[in-house]
Amino acid sequence: MNERSSSPAWFRWLNYIFLALCAYATLFPFINIIATSFSSSRAINAGEVFMWPIEFNLDAYNNLIRDGQLIVAMKNTVIITLVGTALNMLFTIMAAYPLSKARLKGRNVMLMAILFTMLFSGGLIPNFLLVNTLGLVNSYWALWLPALISAYNMFVMKSFLEGLPEELEESAAIDGASEFTILWRIILPLSKPVIAALTLFYAVGWWNSYMNVLIYIRSTDKLSLMVKLYQMIDLVSTELLRGEGVLQAVITPESIRAAAVVFAIVPILCVYPFLQKHFIKGVLLGSIKG
Amino acid sequence: MKMNIPQPTGLPAEPGMPARKKASFWKQVSRNRFLYMLLVPVAIYLLVFKYAPMFGEIIAFKNYRLADGIWNSPWVGFEQFEKLFASREFYVVLKNTLLLNLYHLLFAFPVPILLAILLNEVRVEWYKRTLQNLLYIPHFISWVVLGSIVIALLSPSTGFVNYLLKGFGLEPIYFMADKLWWPVSFIVSGIWKEAGFGTILYLAAMASIDPTLYEAARMDGASKLRQTWHVTLPGIRSTIAILLILQVGKMMDVGFEQVYALRNDAVTSVAEVISTFVYTRGLVNLQYSYTTALGLFQSLIALILVVSVNRIIKAMGERGLW
Repeated sequence: MNERSSSPAWFRWLNYIFLALCAYATLFPFINIIATSFSSSRAINAGEVFMWPIEFNLDAYNNLIRDGQLIVAMKNTVIITLVGTALNMLFTIMAAYPLSKARLKGRNVMLMAILFTMLFSGGLIPNFLLVNTLGLVNSYWALWLPALISAYNMFVMKSFLEGLPEELEESAAIDGASEFTILWRIILPLSKPVIAALTLFYAVGWWNSYMNVLIYIRSTDKLSLMVKLYQMIDLVSTELLRGEGVLQAVITPESIRAAAVVFAIVPILCVYPFLQKHFIKGVLLGSIKG
Repeated sequence: MKMNIPQPTGLPAEPGMPARKKASFWKQVSRNRFLYMLLVPVAIYLLVFKYAPMFGEIIAFKNYRLADGIWNSPWVGFEQFEKLFASREFYVVLKNTLLLNLYHLLFAFPVPILLAILLNEVRVEWYKRTLQNLLYIPHFISWVVLGSIVIALLSPSTGFVNYLLKGFGLEPIYFMADKLWWPVSFIVSGIWKEAGFGTILYLAAMASIDPTLYEAARMDGASKLRQTWHVTLPGIRSTIAILLILQVGKMMDVGFEQVYALRNDAVTSVAEVISTFVYTRGLVNLQYSYTTALGLFQSLIALILVVSVNRIIKAMGERGLW
C-alpha cells in the first residue's frame, strides 16, 4: 500500500465491489454455459439454469464423444495450430533478424514493402483466386502459406532484436562462431520473452480463427473445431427466426451446444493462467517499441 | 522511415571510381550472404501472397470468369463500380459498416479507459492482478464461441437474460432477431470481449505517471475526482489519442468474424457489413469482379484514412505509426 490512497474509504470499497461485479459479469456467461452443458434438457428449456447445473448429467458430453466429429475437429485444430505457429515463428525470425541489422543494404526497401502490406492488401477475392490458382483449396497450406508472417509481429520482433547489444555478436564472430550459430546460440536465447509472446499470439490466433477455414476447407473431416461449432450454432440461430418447434428435429439440443462450447474453451482456459503474463508482456513490447 | 545506413567501408564514394564502388557493394552483399539467404524466402512470400493479390485487384475492372482466368476475362473499365454505386445494397452495407463503427467509438471505446482508471485505484496488488486476469479472459476466446454463448444467453425461450425479464413480468425480447436490439447486442458483446484487455495499455501509461504529481495535487487539496481529471487523464492523453485515431483509421472495416458469428437472416438489413457482403456475394454467389470492386473501394478509403491519421498523429507531436 503506498501513500497515494487519499480516496475516502467508502469510495475504495465501492470501487472494489464494482470491479468485482465487472469481473463477475465477464465470467458469468462462461459459468452459465458450463452449467448448461451439465444440465437436463427440461431445466434448460425452463430457463432455470443459472450458475450451477440443474439435474446434473453427462449426456451432452457422452453424445459429443459418441458422435466423434468434434474430436476429429479438435485434432484438426491442433494440427493447424502447431504447424501454423511453427511456420509463423520460423518466417518471422527469418524476416526480423536480417532486418534488425542497420548495416544491411536494401533493408529499407524490404521494410517499406512489409509496412505497405499493413496498409493495403489484396482483399478477400484476389486472395482466394490466388490460392485457388495454386491448387491449395481444401489443403491446410491454404491456411498457412498466405499467413506466414504477421507484419505487426515482425516489427515487434525486429525492434526487440535491435535492442540487443551488438558487441555480443561481434565477440562471438571473433571467437569464430558461424552466423547460424550466433543466431541460434546467442540471439534466440536472448529473445525468449519476445519469442514466447509472439508464439502465443500466433497460436491463439490459429486456435480461434475460422474465416480462413470457412473459405478454403471443403471436406467435412478436415474442418476445424471453430467451424464445426459454428455449424452447430447456425442451426439454432435459424430456430430463433422460424419460431419454436418447426425445426426441432434438426436442431442441436441446447445442452450439446453448450458442451461443444465448453469443449472449445477448456484448452484455452487451461493454459491461460500460466501464459497470461507473456501476453501482457507482448502487448507492451508492441506498444512501446513497435 | 528514414534510417541511416552507415558506410561500412572506409572508401570515399568519389565519382570517377565506380568500379571500386561496385566491387565494395558486392563485397558487402557477400559478407552478409547469410542474412540475405534468410530474406529470400521472405521476399518470395511477400511477392506471391501479398503483392500478387494486390495485382489481382485488376479484376475489379474486368468481368472475371473462372474459366477465362485473370488474363482472358474481358476488360469492362469502371462498369463494376458504376453498378455498385448505383445499387441500393451498397449504401445499406456502407451505412451498417460506418454505423457499427460509430457506435463502437461512442460506447465501447471509452470503457477500457474508465475500467483502467478504476483498476488503477485498487491498491491491494493481489486483488488488482486477479481482477485483471479475469477481465482479460474473453479476449482469448474465439468469436464463434462468444457468439454462441451470447445467442444462448439472449435466447427468447431458454436464455437467462429473458428468464430474468420474465421474472420481472416483462415480455421476452428477441435480442438477436430485432433490428433495434441487434446492434446493442453487437456492441455489448464487443465490450465484453475487449474492454478488459484494452486496459493494458492505459494501465501501463498510468504506471509511468510521476507520483509526485499526485502528491502535489493532494497538497493543493484536490479531491480524488480532480486528481483523476488533472493528473491521470493528462498522463494517458497520448495513449488515448493514438488508440482513438487508430480506431478512426479502421472506420471502413468491421471484423468479419464477430459479425458472422452474431448475424442471422432476420437482421441482415442492419448486420450486413462490407466484409460479410464480400464473402457471401463473392465466394458464395461467385460475383468475383463486383465484390472485388467493393473490396478495392474499401481498401483505398482505409489507406487514405490511415495515411491521414498518421499525419495527424505526427502533427500532434506524437510518434507516428511510421
